[in-house]
Amino acid sequence: MNAERNTGAESTLEARALKKSYGDFEAVKGVDFRVFGGECFGFLGPNGAGKTTTMKMIYGAVIPTAGELAVAGLDVYHHEREIKRRIGVVPQENNLDDELKVRENLLIYGRYYDLPRKVVLQRTDELLDFMQLSEKAEATVEQLSGGMKRRLLIARALINDPEIVVLDEPTTGLDPQARLLVWDRLRELTTEGKTLILTTHYMEEAARLCDRLVIMEGGLIIADGTPGELVEEHVSPQVLELTADHRSLEELLSVVEGADSVERTGDETVLVYTEDADTLLENVRSSGVDIENTVYRQAGLEDVFLRLTGRRLIE
Amino acid sequence: MDTIRIPSARGSFRVWQRNVTIFRKYWKTILFPNFVEPLLYLAALGLGLGAFIQQGGINGQSYVQFVAPGLLASNAMFAASFESTFNTFVKLKIDKIYDAIITTPVNAEDVVAGEYLWAGTRSALYGTAFLAMIVVLGIVFREPLVTSWWALLLPLMLLVIGIMFSVLGTLFTSLIERIDLYAYYFTLVVTPLFLLSGVFFPVDNFPAPVPQVAWFTPLYHAVNVCRELATGPSPGVLVDVAWILVFTGVLALIPVQIMRRRLIG
Repeated sequence: MNAERNTGAESTLEARALKKSYGDFEAVKGVDFRVFGGECFGFLGPNGAGKTTTMKMIYGAVIPTAGELAVAGLDVYHHEREIKRRIGVVPQENNLDDELKVRENLLIYGRYYDLPRKVVLQRTDELLDFMQLSEKAEATVEQLSGGMKRRLLIARALINDPEIVVLDEPTTGLDPQARLLVWDRLRELTTEGKTLILTTHYMEEAARLCDRLVIMEGGLIIADGTPGELVEEHVSPQVLELTADHRSLEELLSVVEGADSVERTGDETVLVYTEDADTLLENVRSSGVDIENTVYRQAGLEDVFLRLTGRRLIE
Repeated sequence: MDTIRIPSARGSFRVWQRNVTIFRKYWKTILFPNFVEPLLYLAALGLGLGAFIQQGGINGQSYVQFVAPGLLASNAMFAASFESTFNTFVKLKIDKIYDAIITTPVNAEDVVAGEYLWAGTRSALYGTAFLAMIVVLGIVFREPLVTSWWALLLPLMLLVIGIMFSVLGTLFTSLIERIDLYAYYFTLVVTPLFLLSGVFFPVDNFPAPVPQVAWFTPLYHAVNVCRELATGPSPGVLVDVAWILVFTGVLALIPVQIMRRRLIG
């Protein structure tokens, strides 16, 4: 693997007023973002937010309707092949070549980049090892578990030793253990200096992996920053999740009125954001409202999303 | 971005190479039916139907001699047609093989051209197996079915014929969303061509407009070329070759553009 660090501050990806429409439907309604070399940059948002369309514009599977997009300093309208030579792509949908064995998937993919055979052979072995697939090298794609298929997709995206790796929902559909392994490998890639661009609708994934991220909804970027900044900027640090019988709910709402903000999710749960959860909880207890369940936790990106959109990320 | 896209040789070669890699794993199984097919046809048509065709045959040839090179041409048509319809559809819509390829420096237009080349290669391989069997049968039954050294050009010609039918099949594939619709292509295009292009009987002596209509269809010319090369060509064969090249050249870039639009949003 390439151990060279590429931590220069020049932006490696830049979008301005980037748009994509399909007839009357605007999938991406004009977004601006900059990604710097060596960072992990995330697009967090629900399904249908325009994340995948944005990724596809980056790797050339969708041509923007308007706006500017430069990848690795190259304009996407005119340098399709050169951009694709320099990036790696992990698509949302598994499109491994089922007619080829695990190892062959990497060998044949390497040929598409016109890489010398020796280089492809060497990288294939390294990547199988890196993605913990060496034992499955001669297996068919069908014999792999979901997590292994995803790891093979990631290995395949690295065959050309790309500067930028675009990952569209790299862990969707994986069980927690498989997800942890993928996270671990992706973090390893950033330490090697690769730039990662990923989409996710798991806030835990965004919080753990991303140096910076944007939150997308309805084809627009509605917030951006580091995970910490986003939480700090948009919500109070402490959250009380209070569940009450729906008859007591009105009463509960009046008790927590003094909090920084209050969100209702579903019929019976109220999320209360505050700087001082102890005092608030004291107030609730002393008011005598019948609370069925209380959860106290630190605010996270999920709360930022709820605050900004009025709804949960995964519904 | 609606400029006309011209495939690159290198990208097309990579796509062709992927198919070769897979074919090499299974070639024995894949090619075997092509050795059996001529046996079946020639037994049924030569011995069965041919027995009813009066002595003297067609244009001085026995019925078996007449029909064998025609079947060679139609074999190439079927090979390329299956490749560019069902096989291409599966790669396009079910296995999403092309979606994976076009994230590499290989572009959508290269994918289509690579598939043309591969379908042509497949036709040439199938046809060569078929041809070898015809030669052997001719020797075994002491009725030479291939009588000219020009026949050595047949594999190359079958490659070209395969590419022509691949362009046609890919054009249909580029326009449909559902795999069931191939029934229309095979029933309304491939089968009529098979039956009415001079494989089984000469169409040239039919009253107008049959020969004129036949002249505008691709298999008619493919059959002529194969028959002439099998038995020694006349200069007229150049017209058939030219027809095939022009038809293929004119149509080839159309499926490329449509498929590109399907693969790239």
